[in-house]
Order: sequence, then structure tokens, then C-alpha cells
Amino acid sequence: MAVMQGFRDRVAIAGIGYTEFSKNSKVSTLTLATRAIAAAVADAGLEMDDVDGLATHRVGDSALPATVVHALGLRDPKWLLDLFGGGSASHSVVGQAALAIAAGVADTVVCYRAINARSEFRMGGTGRPLVDAAETQYQAPYGYMAPPQQFAMMARAHMEKYGTTAEQLGAVAVTQRGHAAMNERAMMRHPITLDDYLASRWIVEPFRLFDCCLETDVAVALVLTSAERARDLQRPSVLIRGIAWGGGFTLYSSDRPDSTRSAAADLAPRLFEQAGVGPRDIDVAELYDCFTYSVLVQLEDYGFCKKGEGGPFFESGATALGGSIPVNTHGGFLSEGYAHGLNHIAEAVSQLRGSAADRQVEGAEIALSTSQPGYIAGNTSALILRRAP
Amino acid sequence: MTDPVPRPAPQADRDSVPFWEGVEAGELRVQQCDACGRLRWPPREICGRCRSTASTWRALSGAGRIDSWIVAHQVFHPAFADSVPYTVLQVAVDEQPDIQMIGLYEGEGEPAFGMAVRAVFVRGSNGAMLVHWTPSPG
Repeated sequence: MAVMQGFRDRVAIAGIGYTEFSKNSKVSTLTLATRAIAAAVADAGLEMDDVDGLATHRVGDSALPATVVHALGLRDPKWLLDLFGGGSASHSVVGQAALAIAAGVADTVVCYRAINARSEFRMGGTGRPLVDAAETQYQAPYGYMAPPQQFAMMARAHMEKYGTTAEQLGAVAVTQRGHAAMNERAMMRHPITLDDYLASRWIVEPFRLFDCCLETDVAVALVLTSAERARDLQRPSVLIRGIAWGGGFTLYSSDRPDSTRSAAADLAPRLFEQAGVGPRDIDVAELYDCFTYSVLVQLEDYGFCKKGEGGPFFESGATALGGSIPVNTHGGFLSEGYAHGLNHIAEAVSQLRGSAADRQVEGAEIALSTSQPGYIAGNTSALILRRAP
Repeated sequence: MTDPVPRPAPQADRDSVPFWEGVEAGELRVQQCDACGRLRWPPREICGRCRSTASTWRALSGAGRIDSWIVAHQVFHPAFADSVPYTVLQVAVDEQPDIQMIGLYEGEGEPAFGMAVRAVFVRGSNGAMLVHWTPSPG
């Protein structure tokens, strides 16, 4: 444990930057990346030449760090990371960058994700080439090849085992839309009702349209530097309190548990131990919401409620702004837009800075932000952040 | 029904050739560990439990139970444009339920959790033999 506690609070997120969330950016992912990075560096009060590391995750759909670094004119980068992976890798990238800074390999690293996930490479899978993975041969011939299908399969199992209802899935969509109404960046800001949810068309049963996240063109960037250096910068420091990685269960893992349990259940105890806090200490949680169901399973597997009770817990209002544990205060992927995990971390930073305007969780000091909980890809990662004392 | 474009054919890799040869012959073949007896699928050299690399191919009965299912409406691949809505199952095989397979449902009515099914072998429009699942009462 000594090593883990030695890492605690040593690295800060000092700047956040966004491009517009849209359905068609009309620019390249390279341009999206450089715009978001420039915005994040300015937000931190740094100069571009202060940046000596870049990191991203991609699934073959975006500008790679080695390209971005030259576009920005950074002549001698000390650390670059190009991680192949989807939503389960988002928080991993930030954790890896924090390790590089803590180890003294780089001083200031920008983590970014730039995607044209609607206009060029539809993240939901419509019309997309088949994934180059060993399991594709056992799935694609049966018309099973897209993330909404894979998550719908897990959601159905949860509904069968625990009695989770369509109305409970709908509560996630409706509540997060309500949060997005208070977020000027959000793509979808008009309120929806449970009836609107139930009337939305089937994508793949048990998922309707409003169970599925948006497909978005956007880039988000985060500036990481040492806690010591961040103290002298213009923004309130937000410290990385804990970072943990976990394995996952694909359909083809040996001895896999049933489909209703995600790998977050394994990761959560070591994340909380590392951060020295528990679920009750979390003031705000930005949970990976590729689909409504993934929010419910994470509420259970991160210990905010008992296993199987994610649906009733969400329905109780506990996760809305003003509730005991507000979740996805920006509206999440379902309503703000889809930046493949990084917009969840950026929102957590805004909350801890106290700069989240109408959607501010009063007095927020500790936040949890998570990646895809380990279904499908077989790995997951998550962060606990805190406002510097 | 003719598909608008051919459905994706199984692309065997160097581990899975014997599995797909089995499907072509109307059998569901998986590896059995020679050391600990555990079944494994998809095919791979090493046993994830005892780490032995010795194994023997064995035919399953084809009996299983439905672990979960979906009904696809959105067309993600043009080959399925005329087939929606279609039902895809996740089936736990009887011999060892942590071996779970994805396949199309060939049955009347809604599937149900725990419903007994059996594998049927269907030649697809692209010429490849595939594994579908049909209700198996009693």
C-alpha cells in the first residue's frame, strides 16, 4: 500500500478544454485535437511549449499523438501514449499520464480524445466496418456486431434476474436530460418525460433510442501536471486522489460471473482503498453512460446501493442534482455528448472547482469518474478526484 | 429470403479452424483439457484453469439454456436490412454453462431466461454453415 499512497494527490488536472459538441464538425480529428488542446492549455494558464507529453485512446478513428505533437510544433516530447481501446481505456489514459508525471518522466501531459463519431466513424456501429477481433467470427455472422446489442444483452439479463424495469432505465435518460438542460455545452437540452422515453423507437430490445448515447463529433482535452506546479496556476487545483485499473469479463472469459456483474465490482475496493475514501464520501459521480443500463450496474458495483437495486435506487431520485449522490451532472453521453470518457472527467473537474454554474453540486470535494465498466473490452479503469485543500 | 448483401462469413483464425470444421460437419466441438478435464471455448492453446496445453477436441450435445437475448431493430450491417427485427440469443451450454455462445433464435414466440434450446446447423446465404438455436421442450 505504501506505493499507492505515495501516488495519492501528487498529480493535478490543471486545465480542461472542449470543442463544440456537434453532429458534424466539418473538420478533421487532428484539427479537433489541436483546438481542444489549445483550449485546455489556455484554461490552465500555461503556454503550449510547457507541454511535454501527449496521450490518447483510439480505436483506429483519430489523429495519433505522434501526429498531433508535430502539428503543435512540440519539438522534443518526453512522453507519448497511443492506447488502442474504447471506453474502457478513457480513464486508463489519464492514469498512465499521471504515473508518468509522478515518475518524473514528463512535467505536463495533455490527455485528449478527438472523434468524429457521427460524421465519419459512427461509434454506435451503424455502417461501420466489423471490429478486427478474434470474437467477431463468433458474433458478426449472426448480426451481432454493435455496442448497443452487446449492452442490451447484459441489460436483459439484469432485468430477468433482478426485475429491473424499462421505467428504471427510462429514469436514467429523463434525469440526465434534466441535468443537460442546465449545461450550455450539451447537445440535447429540451426536457423529456418517461412517456417520451417509452414512446421512443426500438434500437435493440430492451433498448430504445433514449437508452443509447449520442454519437458526437467533439474533442476534449485535460492538462495534467504535478500538484506542486498546479498550486501556482490560475485555476483551483483538482488532485488525482486515486486511479485503478481492472480486468473485465468478456463473454468468453473462463469462470466469468453472470452477465449482471461488471468488473467495476473488482476494481472499486482497490480504488477506494487507494483514495482512502468510500462510496459515502463521494459527492458527485460521473459514470460511463454509453447506455442507461451501464449507469445502473455501476451504481451497484461501485457500492452506492446493493446488488440488484440500481434501478429502484436511481428511481428514488438519489442520483439527481439535489440528491444524495448526483450522477452525470453534465447530462452524460446520453445528453451532453460523447467524448469517449473525457467529458466525464472534465465535468468532475468543473464540479470540484465549483465552476459548474446552475448544475453545481454544492460543496463538492470528492468526485468519482469511471470508464466503461469492463463488459466487452475486458478491462476498465476509474479515477477519484478531490479539490485541493 | 435473399439478403441485400452477403452476411459476414465466419473468418476462422489459426486457433478456430477445428471449431468451424465441426460446425460444417454439424457438430459443436470444443476443446477439453487433458489435465483437468475442463472444457474451453473459444479455442486457444492454454487451459485458463490449470495452464496445461494438452487438449482433445470433443463434440458437445448441442443442448443449452438461454442466458439472455435481444431483438435487433436497428440495421448495423446492410446484410441484415431485410431481416430486422431478429432475435439473437446468448446460450449457456449444458455441459459447462460458463461456455456461452451467440446465435440466432429459430423459434416461435418470445424467448425466456432459462429456456432449453438445442443447436441447429443452418447454411447461410453466404454458403457458410452457422449455429442457430431452437426451443427444445422437455
